[in-house]
Amino acid sequence: MSRITRRTILAAPLLAAALPAHAQEKVTLTLWHNHPEWKARVLAILARFEAEHPTVHVELTEMPSSAYVPRMNTSLAAGEAPDIIALNAGPDTKSAALAGYLADLTGQVDISTLKPSAASASLIDGKVYAVPILGSYTVGLYYNRDIFAKAKLTPPASSDEFFTVAKALKAQNIAPMIGPAQDGTIPGFLYMLCASSILGAQGLDEVRKGTRKLTDPDVLRASIFLRDLFPYFQPGALGTSYTEGKALFALGRGAMMEAGSADYAGFTETNPKVNLGVVPFPAAPGGKPSTVTGMQQVFGVNSKTKHRAEAIAFLQWMLGKEPAQMVVDTITLSTSTEVLPSDNRVMKEMIEASHVNDVRVWFEFPQVGKVFSTAGLKAQSLFLGELLPEDFAKALQDTVNPAAT
Amino acid sequence: MTNGSAGIRRSRLRARYGHLWFVLPGFLVFCAFLVYPMLTAFRLSVLDWRGLGNESHFVGLANFSEALTSPTFWRAAGHNVVFFLAILMFQHTVGLFLAVQLNARPRFMEVYRTILFLPVILSLVATGFIWTLILSPNIGILDPLLTDLGLDFLAKPWLDDVSWALPSVIAVQAWNHLGWAIVIYLSGLQGVPRELREAAHIDGANAWQRFWRVSFPLLAPAFTSLTVITFIQNIRVFDVVYVMAGPIGAPAGRTDVLGTLIYRTAFGAAGITSADVRMSYAVAITVLVFVFMLTAATAMLYGLRRREVEA
Repeated sequence: MSRITRRTILAAPLLAAALPAHAQEKVTLTLWHNHPEWKARVLAILARFEAEHPTVHVELTEMPSSAYVPRMNTSLAAGEAPDIIALNAGPDTKSAALAGYLADLTGQVDISTLKPSAASASLIDGKVYAVPILGSYTVGLYYNRDIFAKAKLTPPASSDEFFTVAKALKAQNIAPMIGPAQDGTIPGFLYMLCASSILGAQGLDEVRKGTRKLTDPDVLRASIFLRDLFPYFQPGALGTSYTEGKALFALGRGAMMEAGSADYAGFTETNPKVNLGVVPFPAAPGGKPSTVTGMQQVFGVNSKTKHRAEAIAFLQWMLGKEPAQMVVDTITLSTSTEVLPSDNRVMKEMIEASHVNDVRVWFEFPQVGKVFSTAGLKAQSLFLGELLPEDFAKALQDTVNPAAT
Repeated sequence: MTNGSAGIRRSRLRARYGHLWFVLPGFLVFCAFLVYPMLTAFRLSVLDWRGLGNESHFVGLANFSEALTSPTFWRAAGHNVVFFLAILMFQHTVGLFLAVQLNARPRFMEVYRTILFLPVILSLVATGFIWTLILSPNIGILDPLLTDLGLDFLAKPWLDDVSWALPSVIAVQAWNHLGWAIVIYLSGLQGVPRELREAAHIDGANAWQRFWRVSFPLLAPAFTSLTVITFIQNIRVFDVVYVMAGPIGAPAGRTDVLGTLIYRTAFGAAGITSADVRMSYAVAITVLVFVFMLTAATAMLYGLRRREVEA
């Protein structure tokens, strides 16, 4: 059976339930989302959905990502979550599914068009509970092309090159790197990138199984590289929040910043003229330049919703080609299907960057889920010299739990 | 006869306890919004619930013993105590001084009073954002101002510096709460009988003696209220620290307080993942804070009330 036929058969009863042509009251679906800077772009996609589904209105609530997880977790526990629930792929979604917060969508949403990584993120114990309708984000190293051109520099690919470039920029009174280290998000990603450059996807699997450790001498170089990056951050990095850091980079107050494809829309929102390029993050000694990729959340249906058919119809529609093209072109995320950006150099560079040495974000795996947050929590002490790289790596290794499922 | 005595008993009961019906709605609200959540918190504190999902096990007092042996807990608690002591001193000196000035009824007193009380009306979140914009090393206006005034040796990354971050956040909290001290002391000063001060004046007491010997002892109730309120506010402090220094109390935990510790334990530090959340442990810390606040505030009230009587 062809894909189109299968999808049509699967979707037909749902659409029929969702869209009986007339005499049906307009249904409102609630949806929360954690990127306020994308609001206009997401609303444009929702408007397209509503134009095709006149009896359904999707009410979008945007909130900052720092507030999203607390609010969603408490709402789930209180039974007050929205109709469509967006969660991080991996352990968070599994917990929500096992607790009965998410409806089982197996056989009701067609995931056959998804890339293998996206399809695997949709499955929990062989069942579909949530799908990555916004695709995935890839994190690498953004650089300001104007600053680099003016300084006659090329983006670094290794730690040695990074330090050469950073020293040259510093000599010209330019902050080499924007590193907002106040809330731990950026240091956490920086550690994942440094360590992934050494480990690669296979090495991460070994860490997850417990056959390789973050304290091993070769992996320890990631902690050392992270510590050595700090002197090249902008002044006041420990007191700079993630949001402020993104704005500083967009405004050209620094030459490089670790950031994801999901951040590009925010950069251009802050400064439409910003001229950026993307490369993989420079390799720690002994490693390969790397990127990390994670699902831009997975979206499920609240098991208590009164509008289940409409919610499923919405998810199925979002997995289609047209919305996927809008996502990739306007929000600049990689999609879960084989849709390529129409005309976006930065997005194409990010996709290219991810072909070098791409590793899934660690917090989507239960065994190493806590490494990211612990790195964020302890990085400031590492930067200040209160914690040696060996102690830092040990603190991270202590959170690895090969037995976790 | 039997029916008659039963009727009398009923009417006596109604007369004695009938008023309780009027209390009932309030009592039910009290139970629903205070007693029930409190009991739920106690129940959660002896489990190992993460905060997401249904899986949990009884762990007894393990969460409490972990908190009480955690250096992070004691460091955060220590910062709360520093907050309390610094702001207490500020309010009992600067707050009292400004209240005395206002009590002298200068021209435009209402204007001064409004300006001084204004920060209290602002939410601490808004206050924190305003001061972050002032103190930020990247976009702040204070350091450029100091540089322009030739005071560049005073300019520093206030919220990034391990020595200055905590004092900076405390200063903002003190600024925000100053209005309370002024209003409480001002109402206390306005309650001091004018005759007493006039009698002291006639007896030859100077302005300082009139204040120190007559007015100040009579301000004991205001002192008690302000001390206890300040204690509760600063052991519970959260918003201003979260906004100015983030959930991990940057830099490197130098501004971490119990509020931020509880928040990031319950909801995660980065807000991106729930991998590190431990709701039950966070609730156990809140129970410890509750018990400490209840005990300390009661002891404070008892000690300060005795002082009031002596005064």
